[in-house]
Amino acid sequence: MLKSKQITALIMTLLPLVIFARQQPVFTVAGTVKDKKTGETLSGASIGFLQKEKLGVVTNAYGFYSISLPKGEYTMIISFSGYAIDTVQLDLQKNIVMNRSLSVSNGQLQQVVVSARKAAGLLKTPPGLQKMSIEEIKSIPVLLGEKDILKTIQLLPGIKSAGDGKSGFYVRGGAADQNLILLDEAPVYNASHLLGFFSVFNADAIKDVSIYKGGMPAAYGGRLASVEDIKMKDGNDQQFSGSGGIGLIASRFSLEGPIVKDQGSFTISGRRTYVDLFTGLSSDTNISNTKLYFYDLNLKANYRLGKKDRLFISGYFGKDVLEFQNEGGIDWGNATATFRWNHIFNSRLFSNTSLIYSRYNYNTQFASDNNNIRVTSDITDYQFKQDFNYYLDPRNRFDVGFNFIYHITQPGEARASESSNFNDITLEKKYALESAAYASHEWSATDKLKFMYGIRLSALTVLGPGNMYTYDQDGNVLTTTWYSRGKAVKTYLNPEPRLAVTYQLDNINSVKLAYDRNVQNIHLLNNSTSSSPTNVYLPTGNIVQPQVADQVSAGYYSNFHNRRYEFSTEVYYKKLQNQLDYKNNAELVGNNNVEADLLFGKGRAYGWENYFKKKSGKLTGWISYTLSRTERKIEGVNNNDWYPAFQDQTHSLSIVGIYKYNQKWTFSASWVYNTGNAVTWPSGKFPVDGVPVYYYAKRNGDRLPAYHRLDVGATLQLKNTARFQSDLNFSIYNAYGYENPYSIKFQNDPKNPARTQIEQTTLFRMVPAVTYNFKF
Amino acid sequence: MRTYLKIIAFTGVLLGCKKIISPQLNHATPQLYIQGAVSDTAGPYFVTIVKTIGFYDSNEFPGVSGAVISITDSTAGITDQLIETGTTGVYSTRTIMQGIPGHTYLLQVTLDGKIYTASSTMPQPVLLDSVTFNTSDTAEIAAVANYQDPSNAINYYKYNLVLNGVRVKRFSTFEDRLSNGRYIRDKIDADTGEIKRNYSVQLNLVGIDAAVYNYLHEAEGVAYDNDDLVSPATPGSNIRGGCLGYFSAQTVSNKTAVVKY
Repeated sequence: MLKSKQITALIMTLLPLVIFARQQPVFTVAGTVKDKKTGETLSGASIGFLQKEKLGVVTNAYGFYSISLPKGEYTMIISFSGYAIDTVQLDLQKNIVMNRSLSVSNGQLQQVVVSARKAAGLLKTPPGLQKMSIEEIKSIPVLLGEKDILKTIQLLPGIKSAGDGKSGFYVRGGAADQNLILLDEAPVYNASHLLGFFSVFNADAIKDVSIYKGGMPAAYGGRLASVEDIKMKDGNDQQFSGSGGIGLIASRFSLEGPIVKDQGSFTISGRRTYVDLFTGLSSDTNISNTKLYFYDLNLKANYRLGKKDRLFISGYFGKDVLEFQNEGGIDWGNATATFRWNHIFNSRLFSNTSLIYSRYNYNTQFASDNNNIRVTSDITDYQFKQDFNYYLDPRNRFDVGFNFIYHITQPGEARASESSNFNDITLEKKYALESAAYASHEWSATDKLKFMYGIRLSALTVLGPGNMYTYDQDGNVLTTTWYSRGKAVKTYLNPEPRLAVTYQLDNINSVKLAYDRNVQNIHLLNNSTSSSPTNVYLPTGNIVQPQVADQVSAGYYSNFHNRRYEFSTEVYYKKLQNQLDYKNNAELVGNNNVEADLLFGKGRAYGWENYFKKKSGKLTGWISYTLSRTERKIEGVNNNDWYPAFQDQTHSLSIVGIYKYNQKWTFSASWVYNTGNAVTWPSGKFPVDGVPVYYYAKRNGDRLPAYHRLDVGATLQLKNTARFQSDLNFSIYNAYGYENPYSIKFQNDPKNPARTQIEQTTLFRMVPAVTYNFKF
Repeated sequence: MRTYLKIIAFTGVLLGCKKIISPQLNHATPQLYIQGAVSDTAGPYFVTIVKTIGFYDSNEFPGVSGAVISITDSTAGITDQLIETGTTGVYSTRTIMQGIPGHTYLLQVTLDGKIYTASSTMPQPVLLDSVTFNTSDTAEIAAVANYQDPSNAINYYKYNLVLNGVRVKRFSTFEDRLSNGRYIRDKIDADTGEIKRNYSVQLNLVGIDAAVYNYLHEAEGVAYDNDDLVSPATPGSNIRGGCLGYFSAQTVSNKTAVVKY
């Protein structure tokens, strides 16, 4: 037995794959794995075989799997976290279509075929990938009870929060704009609501999120630091169901159901806040007349055309509105739309074709006595994307594809009233075509050794119409060249190699090694600490070069005690090129020559991440700890030396615990601690026209105080029948009321003009919330 | 941008709090700060040299004496050797008593064997039409500068206020980058409640050159909005030689009015 296995392994390694594949009669079993109750396809479900313990595949993003085996009789095992394991007997004498539906497990781990699942399961997760389902985040306490997938992933190692009231998060030292946040494949440019308090993803509409911190498959590209691939629910194709919630700050409602049972389904989810109700209570008329709300709308429908084709259409619309009485206001939002066509060419070849639209825009209205100015800005993407998955045999899978994104950015347009201080201005629109082609091969070289390698070739073509400028050292325009519509100004071509190697030490332990290069061509300009939604996006141009990141990572993973516990430890080193920074006085608003105000430099980040998770039992939860360093080197800053980036946090710790006390009560708590961000504080002062102005000796030479916070929650199950479930969720954000700084201001002492003082603003001290959730 | 800060501040009121903290700060070795100006109003003109102090120190900046200072009107070819006044670190012109728009002025300071030089060209004057008041919120009365920005020039401005004869220690800046040729009605930043009914308010509209504007604009950001800057930095001086400060050849136009409502 052992011998034959070793020989097989040897042959596998030595012989060309295709020859091996034709050695004996081989048939393919392929199909889709779904949730029995809702009909939602399950992506990432494992398919294994009792007779071939070491062979296995996982379902793709659409729940599709395909595996080719020598003819024979098999027991197929289908498993997915949180679901009861399913087994089916196969007599493989021809190609078979085998669609399976899994039931949600009652919490008991089934022992039957655990060993096969173990082996299969461990090999499946590429390094750097973390998956989180909406179910998993349900009990974790969050600000104002709004469960939020983007906030919860910040409790994982290597993903760091930008702080209270700040949008964005930092992955392995990357900047906030270096995360590729996808909603049904459409990039979401500004994923935050209400100046960063909440993300735009309504938990009721989301199925799951896959997070890559490194070792991204070649199918992903466009951002340096991470991928957050968020999938919307497809909708229940078995029966109508709904869910919703009433919270302190927002209410949600979702409805889903079959269009035709087993054929197609739809889902629609909405959410709106009512912060205005609170502001209306304020005695300050400036505040009580403030409009402040946001809403989200998620829509999705899918339909199966026969056995081989499936169509999906999904859309997201969200908007924030903030208006002050007599002073104008601002609104901003994202819109995305995705049209997809899944086609199964044959049992081994799966194809997906997508047409994707994404737009982010904002409108600002400044209104004061004589000024009435309206400023608008947007970025719009049109994308065509084609992906193929080819399942050659159980040990070889090929993914190839390509995509084109046409970016149009309008950095700003201002319309001013007659009496205004300002002129109308229209900044030049910028056009760029981002195209990429990739090929990758997932290869189980032996039972223990698996390679996933590939290459992505990405190109950015700067297009006309538009003026292209060159600048002298002082930022003055040297030359201006006009390019007509569609004329290519410049093309940047970048190969992006990707490699991930997994070695299975035994059934429990594995080690992984990965290298990846990512290239980014859309750059967010922002030199303000506040989460202002007036984001200006700049595509790579004749001055701004593509950002490039190279990362190597290595890790050790263990699933022990019957997979009840999971432990992983990873180290990474990342090198970043062409990072953006700003000159003093950089004018990012209303500036056609914004490139002249930019500085460029290098970055490096390295760290050690640890993750320990208890996955079953009354008490579940995890501890994550990251030790890391993130540095920048920018020409002209800190004597051209390396210095800590703002997001450099030496220590970062999260502890999450969920305790299921009984059928009625579940308690949860999370505690986070991290070293304060690197900031620049004065080391002296001098009088400019008598006003104390501060002297800064070194950029980011100081540290904010350490950040820590405890959140607690409790969920009370009210009703739990097959037809209707409801619960009440109580939470306290920042339970011990620690005053973490939101901002720190150096200012004149208003009481004593001879002194200067430091004022710290804290946003959230002990925010209690209660939310009522229901499902039918 | 203020709008967003305001909503954050509002949320802060609703949920959060403010407090004064005293973290430890680095104490840089004292740096030289030089400030000087020549204007189209009657002199003498002054150059002040002080040293920086620690953040927690009282705002008494030690003057530096013993500098050899000259100001040259390079357009007219006249050089003036300044003399130190009775106040330590304050130096005064003796022969250049009236600056002329369009002329370029050079500053040279020699101190402890080091030479600091600067040059500034006085812009053509822009006249302030009037100072008016925005009294819609009487707790926060704002002075408004009213003037025509000339469309045939790139203009940079500084504002400051004199309340009942006392110069307010605050300045603000404005440029016509997005406003060229407009009639400007600009609200002047002031501390809340600083301007009251029946106050006599003098508003100075100071025309400055690009380098001085850059300096003052950076200084304004650092002094008043440092909490909103990701990487605040010491303003870049227009004086060469390795010191802080600025040298400006500027025009001044002022108007005075009494607050009535």
